[in-house]
Amino acid sequence: MAPTSKKQLGNVLVIGGCGFLGHHIVNLLLSSYDCKISVLDLYTTRNRRPDSDGVGYFNGDITSLDALIPIFNKIKPDVVIHTASPTLVGGNKQMFYKVNVEGTKSVVEACKQTGVKALVYTSSASVISDNATDLINADERWPIIPPKSQTEYYSQTKVCYAINHYGLKGNAFKPDPNFSQTHVLITNQQAEAEIHVLSQNRTGSSKFLTCALRPAGIFGEGDVQMVPNMMNVYRDQKTGFQLGDNTNLFDFTYVGNVAHAHCLAAYALLRTSALSTAPLSHEKIDGEVFMITNCEPVYFWDFARMIWKCQGSTKGTEHVWVISKEVGNILGTLMEWGFWLVGKKSKLTPREVKYSCMTRYYDCTKAKERLGYEPIVKLPEGIRRAVKALEDQYQKEGEKKSQ
Amino acid sequence: MGLLKQLPYFLLHPNQLRSIIQWKLWHDPVHTRDPSKESESLKQCFYYLDMTSRSFSAVIQELHPELLVPVAIFYLILRGLDTIEDDMTIPLEKKEPLLRKFDEILELDDWTFTENGPDEKDRELLVHFDCVLKEFKLLKPQYQKVISEYTKKMGNGMADYANNAEHNIHGVQSTKDYELYCHYVAGLVGAGLTRLFVDAELANPALLKRPELSESMGQFLQKTNIIRDLREDFDDKRRFYPKEIWSKHVDNFDDLFVPANIDKALATTSEMVLNALDNVPQCLFYMAGIKDQSVFNFVAIPQVMAIATLEAVFRNPKVTTGVVKITKGDACKLMMESSQNLRTVCDIFQRYTRRIHKKNTPKDPNFLEISIACGQIEQFIESIFPSQDPKKLTLLHGADGPVTTIEDEEKRRQEKEDKKDVFLLLLSVVGTLFVISGLMIGAAYLLGARFDIAFSELTKGKLSPDRDAAQSIVAKHDGHVEL
Repeated sequence: MAPTSKKQLGNVLVIGGCGFLGHHIVNLLLSSYDCKISVLDLYTTRNRRPDSDGVGYFNGDITSLDALIPIFNKIKPDVVIHTASPTLVGGNKQMFYKVNVEGTKSVVEACKQTGVKALVYTSSASVISDNATDLINADERWPIIPPKSQTEYYSQTKVCYAINHYGLKGNAFKPDPNFSQTHVLITNQQAEAEIHVLSQNRTGSSKFLTCALRPAGIFGEGDVQMVPNMMNVYRDQKTGFQLGDNTNLFDFTYVGNVAHAHCLAAYALLRTSALSTAPLSHEKIDGEVFMITNCEPVYFWDFARMIWKCQGSTKGTEHVWVISKEVGNILGTLMEWGFWLVGKKSKLTPREVKYSCMTRYYDCTKAKERLGYEPIVKLPEGIRRAVKALEDQYQKEGEKKSQ
Repeated sequence: MGLLKQLPYFLLHPNQLRSIIQWKLWHDPVHTRDPSKESESLKQCFYYLDMTSRSFSAVIQELHPELLVPVAIFYLILRGLDTIEDDMTIPLEKKEPLLRKFDEILELDDWTFTENGPDEKDRELLVHFDCVLKEFKLLKPQYQKVISEYTKKMGNGMADYANNAEHNIHGVQSTKDYELYCHYVAGLVGAGLTRLFVDAELANPALLKRPELSESMGQFLQKTNIIRDLREDFDDKRRFYPKEIWSKHVDNFDDLFVPANIDKALATTSEMVLNALDNVPQCLFYMAGIKDQSVFNFVAIPQVMAIATLEAVFRNPKVTTGVVKITKGDACKLMMESSQNLRTVCDIFQRYTRRIHKKNTPKDPNFLEISIACGQIEQFIESIFPSQDPKKLTLLHGADGPVTTIEDEEKRRQEKEDKKDVFLLLLSVVGTLFVISGLMIGAAYLLGARFDIAFSELTKGKLSPDRDAAQSIVAKHDGHVEL
C-alpha cells in the first residue's frame, strides 16, 4: 500500500500495548496507518518495537489517575485504545477489580480531562454468557449477564469450562481448576467496565466518543493460554478423547483480526467526532458495542485437531474415543458419587459434560456493516501462524536450556 | 420389475421400503397435469420430457398450470442444445454454428435434427424437435422472449467451450473456468427459470436483483453432478474437475483412478465438495424467495437431492470406480420432507451438513476449511430460523436481577409442586417400608423369634448365624435345655 493511501489516526495511545492483543494493534498501526503511536503499560519491556519504529513507550499504572494525567498531557492522544487487562495467572480478586474496573474508570477520566476525542475499549464476548446456556449466533441484542447469574454457575464449574474457553490444560480432563473462576470474575468486571465506558460516551466538556469491542476467543502469536494449552494435549499424546458429539460450534478469533477491528473502530470514532451532526442510529458507532469474530465458527474439537495437525499429527479420528453427552452424564454422575463417597472431588461431572458440549458462536454482522470489518486472516492461516510462533518459541527455549 | 430381486434388500432395510411406499401412497401433488385437455404435440412433448429426464419430469409436471408448459418447453429446448453439445460425433465446424444459432432455430416451425450419433441417448428428441417448436410458439410472448434469450446465452457459452481447444485436450484448467462452465450449463438455467417464476408472479421480484442467488442454485446442482460423475466422465474421455484443484493432489489426472492413490483421490473430491458447499447458503437464501408451493417443490427437490448426493460422495472411495447414488428410499424420504417448506428443507441441509462434518477427517488437506464451510451453512440456517430470542433472554437476565415472566412463574410453581410430589412419594415409600417391616417383625415376635438374643449377639460382633451354636446360646441364655 502506498503511504499516501494510509488512513490517518493522529496521535494514538495504546494502553496495554505490550500485551498479547495490544502489541498486535501496535504492529498493525505501524504497518497500515498514518499515525504517531504511544504505548502505556505497566512494564514495557516485552513485545517492544525497536526504537527505529518511533513508538513511544511509557511505564504507568492505570489505576492511578495522578500518574495518568501527566502522561496523557505529554502524548496528547487523539484516540485511546484501551486493551489492558491483568494476565490471568496469579493475582487476586482485589487486584483484578482494581485494574479492570477502577483502572478503566481512571482511563476514562484521564481522556475527559485531557481532551481525548475517542476511546475504544476491549471487552469480551463472554459478557453475554452465563456459562451454562448455549449462545447460538448471538449478537449485540443479547443481554449482558449480571454478575449474580454468572457467579451462580462459576462456583460449580471447574473443568470443562476451561476446555471451552481457553482450551485444554495439559490433560483432556484436567485444566487448572481455579482458572475458570478467575475468568468469570474478569468477565464480570469487563462487563462493569464496558457499561461504564459506554455510559461516558459524549459526556464531559470535550464530548469524547467511546465504543466497546467484544472479541470471542482470541488466539494467535503471543497467545499464552488457548493455543499453548491445546498444543500440550498433543505433546502429552492425549488427543484420543472427545467429550460430546462435536456438533457444537465455537468462535475462535485470530488476534490480528481483533487488532484490525480495533483500528477500524478508532478510525470510525475519529471520523464521527469530525462530523458536525450526530450519525443516524443505524450507522452509529459511538456508544455502541460490537461482536468481533473470525466469522468462521467451527466445531469445537475441529479447532483442536487443526492445531494438532499443525504440530505434525497425521492421525484421523479413528483413534478417538468419543464419550457421548449421555454416557458422559452417566459416567460423570457415577464418578461424582463415587468420589463423594471416598471424600474426593470428581474431575468429570455432569455439569462439566454440559460445558464441553456447549455451543458458543456469534453473529458479527453489525461490525461488518458499521465498521466495515472483514477478517483479514482466515482461521486456518491464523492457526498455522499461532502454532508456528509457539513452536519457534519452544525451540528457542529448548536451545537455551541445552546450552 | 426387479422387486423380487430387491426383496432381500428391503427386508434388511425396511425403512427404505417404508419411505418408497409412503411417497407413492401419500404424496399429494399441488397441481396435476391434465393430459385429456392437451394437444397431440404437447402430449408428445411430455413423452420426450419423461424420456430425457425422469427426475425433472416428475417435478415439472406438478408445477403451477401457469408455468407447467413454459418450463417443460424450456427444459426440452435446453436438453436439445445439450444433446448437440455432448455429441462428439458431430464435427466442430458443424456444431459451433448450431449452438450459436439455436435461438434462431426456435423461430422455425419444422426444424428437426437427425445427425446425432446413434448412441446419443436423447437423439429421438431432436429427431422430433418440431413438436417442441410448435408448442414454443403457443407460449405467452413474454415467456418466449425469456426462453429465447437464455437459449442464446447458453448456446454461445457452450460454443465457446466447444471451441476451446485447450479445454478439449486438457480438460478444465482453473477453478474460474470450471465455474464459468457451470454458469453456461446451469447458472443460466437458474437465471432463466427465475425470470419465468417472477414473470408468473410466483416468486419474489427481489430475486432478479440478486442474480448470484439463482447462479448458486444452478452451480450447486451442476457441481454436484460433476463431482459424482468423475468416473463416468473419465471413461467418456471428459474431465470437468479443474486442473487447479486436482493438480494439488496428483501429477496426472489419470492417477486419481489408481487404487494406491485413493487418499489423494479423496483429497481431490473433498476439495471439490468444499467448493460446492460454498454455494449452499445462497441456495437456501434463494429458496426463501419462492412464494408458490409448486415452484418451491420444483426448486427444492433437486437441491436436497444434491446435498444428499454430495454427502454420499464425500470421502467415498467408490467415486473413483463407479457412480455413487442415493438410494431410492432416501430419495423418496427427501422428496416427502422437502416438498413442504423452507424450514424442512433447512433441516435436511443441516442434517446432511452435519453428516459431512462427521465424515471429515484431519487427514484431509482441507480439513478445517470443510469444517468452516459446514459451520457457515449451520450459521446461515440459524440466521433464517433463530433458535434463541434475545428479548426473552433480556427478560430472564434483567438488570435488576432476574425478572420473572408468567412462564417462569408457572415453571417455578411447577417445580415446587414437583418437589412436593417427590417428597410425598419418598415419605410414602419409607412409610410403607416401616409398616411392612413392623408387621414382619411383629409376626416373627409372635411366632417366637428371640430378638433379645439376636441383638446381644450382634453387639458382640457376630453378623452371621451359626446354626449349631444357636441352640446352645439359647440354652445358655435361658438356663435350661429343652430336649
